[in-house]
Amino acid sequence: MSALLEARGLGRVLPGDPPVTLVREANLVIEPGSFTTIVGPSGCGKSSLLYLLSLIDRPTSGELLLEGREVSRLSGDERAQIRLMKFGFVFQFHFLLPEFTALENVLIPIRRLGSLGEVEARERAMHLLDRVGLAEKHGKTPDRLSGGERQRVAIARALANDPVLILGDEPTGNLDSQNSARVVEDLRHLAHEEGRAVVCVTHDPGIAELADVRVDMLDGRIENILDRRGGAAAAP
Amino acid sequence: MIGRLGFLTGIALRHLSKRRRQTLVAVSGVAVGVGFFLAVSAMMIGSQTDFVRQLIDVAPHIIVSDEVRSPTPQPGTRVYANGAVQLHGYKVRTEARGIKDWQAVLAAANAVPGAVASPSLTGGVTLRLGGHDEALAIVGVDPEIESRVSDIEDKLRAGNLRDLETVQGGIIIGEEMAQRLGIGMGDIVAATSASRSRSMRVVGLFKRGNSQLGSSSGYVLLREAQSMLGRPFVINRIGLRIPDPYQAEDVAARLEQRFGYKAESWQERSADFLSLLVTRNVIMYSVVSAILLVASFGIYTVVSNSVADKRRDIAILRSIGFSEGDLQFIFVTEGLMLAVIGVFCGWALGYGLMEILGSLNFPIAGENQHVPLDRSPRQYAVAAAASLFAGAIAAWLPARKASRVDPVDILRGAV
Repeated sequence: MSALLEARGLGRVLPGDPPVTLVREANLVIEPGSFTTIVGPSGCGKSSLLYLLSLIDRPTSGELLLEGREVSRLSGDERAQIRLMKFGFVFQFHFLLPEFTALENVLIPIRRLGSLGEVEARERAMHLLDRVGLAEKHGKTPDRLSGGERQRVAIARALANDPVLILGDEPTGNLDSQNSARVVEDLRHLAHEEGRAVVCVTHDPGIAELADVRVDMLDGRIENILDRRGGAAAAP
Repeated sequence: MIGRLGFLTGIALRHLSKRRRQTLVAVSGVAVGVGFFLAVSAMMIGSQTDFVRQLIDVAPHIIVSDEVRSPTPQPGTRVYANGAVQLHGYKVRTEARGIKDWQAVLAAANAVPGAVASPSLTGGVTLRLGGHDEALAIVGVDPEIESRVSDIEDKLRAGNLRDLETVQGGIIIGEEMAQRLGIGMGDIVAATSASRSRSMRVVGLFKRGNSQLGSSSGYVLLREAQSMLGRPFVINRIGLRIPDPYQAEDVAARLEQRFGYKAESWQERSADFLSLLVTRNVIMYSVVSAILLVASFGIYTVVSNSVADKRRDIAILRSIGFSEGDLQFIFVTEGLMLAVIGVFCGWALGYGLMEILGSLNFPIAGENQHVPLDRSPRQYAVAAAASLFAGAIAAWLPARKASRVDPVDILRGAV
């Protein structure tokens, strides 16, 4: 299967005295329909790698290819446009905009992209909320929703523009086990049934066990990549 | 594009609606600034317009006199115009005073479209009553024409300019002068010039407190002045009124160039006052711009706080795919909305203040007068433009900061 996203020798060094290396020489292939987790101890650089993969941060070395095209050197606006059209984000602290209702939060990326009319956009947002089982709570602001509900709204928002890649930063970090399981199930579904690529940074061994690919990181380096689909372990 | 901007504006509006108190304070700041700008500038410009109108109308717009700005060249110099001529001990040719060939000058002045020119003769006489002498500059005029050239008619406390024609030896003098001599309307006073003396009857009095007419000038009939001063058929002054007073300098310059006589426009005559007005305007605009500037600090505070509070939101919007320009637009729009609402409230406030000021009466020179106000829409536009500009700058500074927020810093800090 061809790669959706490919990191080649990706590195990120924070300038300073002394400079801090966050990620070094990361090689990774993300395929459509796969569920990948990045695991490792705190400060190992797993979030930093995720920010590089998600085009939020710029690498200081190496290459990043999205559908075969080098994207890490693009301008800020071009990368923003790629994130808008192709990526969806789910964060630990769910980061919903507090002034907006659940429905409006899901609508934000759709309206920003502006390819749908207002009626279709609302229909799509309602449909997405319905998928995560929150259709009847669409008019509530985030402070009226539980943690699990907010995270599901965040998933609905991540799907707003039908992304090819879903990126999660500790998506279950703040949730109890029941909500956690539900979110993981949603993410697996997105990968296996809908053919999107899902990449999550997590502490949660339960998620890591359910993933197709497990990337172990230590001190900014990818130590091991375990691919359960083929069963083979590949060294970086 | 429009849809996107509308959407971003919606986000800005939502931000503001969640911080009502700060919004209210910032809007009030702008409103008070705009309101007082309007009130103060209306008074300043109104009084200035009133003052300039008085400067313009109290005397003819242009006065051509028999003076010249530089001495007439002597015949010897004129003959050898390009030569190096030095003359010693020559006798200066005495020229008769008065405007020579004044009919031609008058005709030229009248030829200016819409202009009215009034010939007059001025000279010095002494008014004598009992043992009391007062020097008086008399102006001999044709009342019918003079009344169309200057508004001295309005400056009369008693009598009428036309009375000069009906009463033999009629004279109009200032109230102060009359008081000093102890005479009133209808009284007779002796007037003496260098050449002759005769008695005159007071047929009119100027209001006091008029600096232009002064307390020591009087109006008589032109014929009367010519015979009194012993200069029959001579005039030494032509007053000119033109439809657009602001053309006076040009017209004066043309007349002066053509005839050589000094033609003084009202601007030249009042240069000291006009320069005073410039200073006054500089002071006014510095003060009111300071008000508007301070008002924009409120906008800065609101937008700046909004940016600080919304760092997480900014990070999420940036990672979702909003560009730097989007973020900047959102926060600048917040500031501009405050400015716009403030401007509208300020217009209402300014209008109210002007209504109040306009209804007040102040005693000036013994008469109750309304405060002259300039209510032109131009001032509303100036206030709005200045506020919006200041507001845009005030919002742009924190907005630029918002757009430069690095989402990675926020995300990393939060996780």
